[in-house]
Amino acid sequence: MDSKQSPSPAVRRAPTPVKLVIAGGFGVGKTTTVGAISEITPLTTEAAMTVAGAASDQLGRTPDKTTTTVALDFGVITIDEAIKLYLFGTPGQDRFGFMWHDLTFGALGALVIVDTERIDDCYAAVDYFEQIKLPFVVGINMFDGKPKHSMQEIRWALNIGDHVPLVLFDARERLSVRDALLEVVRTARESLT
Amino acid sequence: MVRPFLDDTAQVAVPARAPIDPPAEIRPYLQTAGRVRPLGDLELEAQVVTTALGRAELLHLKFEQRDIVALCLIPNSVAEVAAKLHLHLSVARILAADIAAEGYLSIVRPDFGGRSRAETLERVIRGLEAIS
Ligand SMILES: Nc1nc2c(ncn2[C@@H]2O[C@H](COP(=O)(O)OP(=O)(O)OP(=O)(O)O)[C@@H](O)[C@H]2O)c(=O)[nH]1
Ligand SMILES: [Mg+2]
Repeated sequence: MDSKQSPSPAVRRAPTPVKLVIAGGFGVGKTTTVGAISEITPLTTEAAMTVAGAASDQLGRTPDKTTTTVALDFGVITIDEAIKLYLFGTPGQDRFGFMWHDLTFGALGALVIVDTERIDDCYAAVDYFEQIKLPFVVGINMFDGKPKHSMQEIRWALNIGDHVPLVLFDARERLSVRDALLEVVRTARESLT
Repeated sequence: MVRPFLDDTAQVAVPARAPIDPPAEIRPYLQTAGRVRPLGDLELEAQVVTTALGRAELLHLKFEQRDIVALCLIPNSVAEVAAKLHLHLSVARILAADIAAEGYLSIVRPDFGGRSRAETLERVIRGLEAIS
């Protein structure tokens, strides 16, 4: 449309963003996980106008009629001067499934958190990541003590292949979360080759 | 994918006819001068950083434009811009893209900046290992 100016240089060099997704069912410890390792208190923003905008474009409706909001939380880890790692938690309720495209777009990997009391809550996430071929790791949140089932049983219940790592971790422990994330990044790296 | 619009109508009670009263809160599309398109799918983690022009013009900018340009003197992701300025995510996206089109912001999308994905992942691994 116009070329009134040549691009002005940025005042700071922007780091390369790398994104991981933290998924799982309702109340399994996603926000706790992000908060345990993020440099900032997990931030929350309202999302979903994308949805209303897209819908109104297609259907000629005014956007205010289709607005719904969802709290989206995320955290940041500065890796080095040039790379920032972002952790995005998926909303727990199924009705916000439409956010998943946005959340996973451009992600390099995901941690699917499982509470062994309610293993099937994570099926939606596992299905979704398998479908979009996003490398993922299943992390069993220990919730005070030993999981109710053996790793073997959990693997069987989830029907995940041997290539999907299964780790035990504690969502409240920084180093435990770090190790779970390391597993995700290593899995992402392996999937490149 | 579930169609968001269908999802909304299925889950949210929306009156068949909109009430005549004006909306109680400022609707996001007002803040974006009537634009509702999400403008490309600017990633949540895309980095927004003020340009030299933006810094020079900062005091002449208004409202959210000024807030965003001031905030992004230090790079921030689109998601951070939304959260820190209490904007709807898609409003932050639209505003960032618009302000960038005017030359006050530069946006770095996650294409690994010429570095290979493998090298980026290696650096992420080293960075995480260094956390104690
Ligand atoms: N005892 C114990 N409590 C935990 C653990 N992880 C999370 N919690 C608690 O479980 C509750 C839910 O955790 P959240 O981190 O909010 O879970 P979430 O997945 O973000 O939940 P939604 O976003 O609502 O789906 C909180 O009260 C946490 O304090 C754990 O490992 N042990
Ligand atoms: Mg949560």
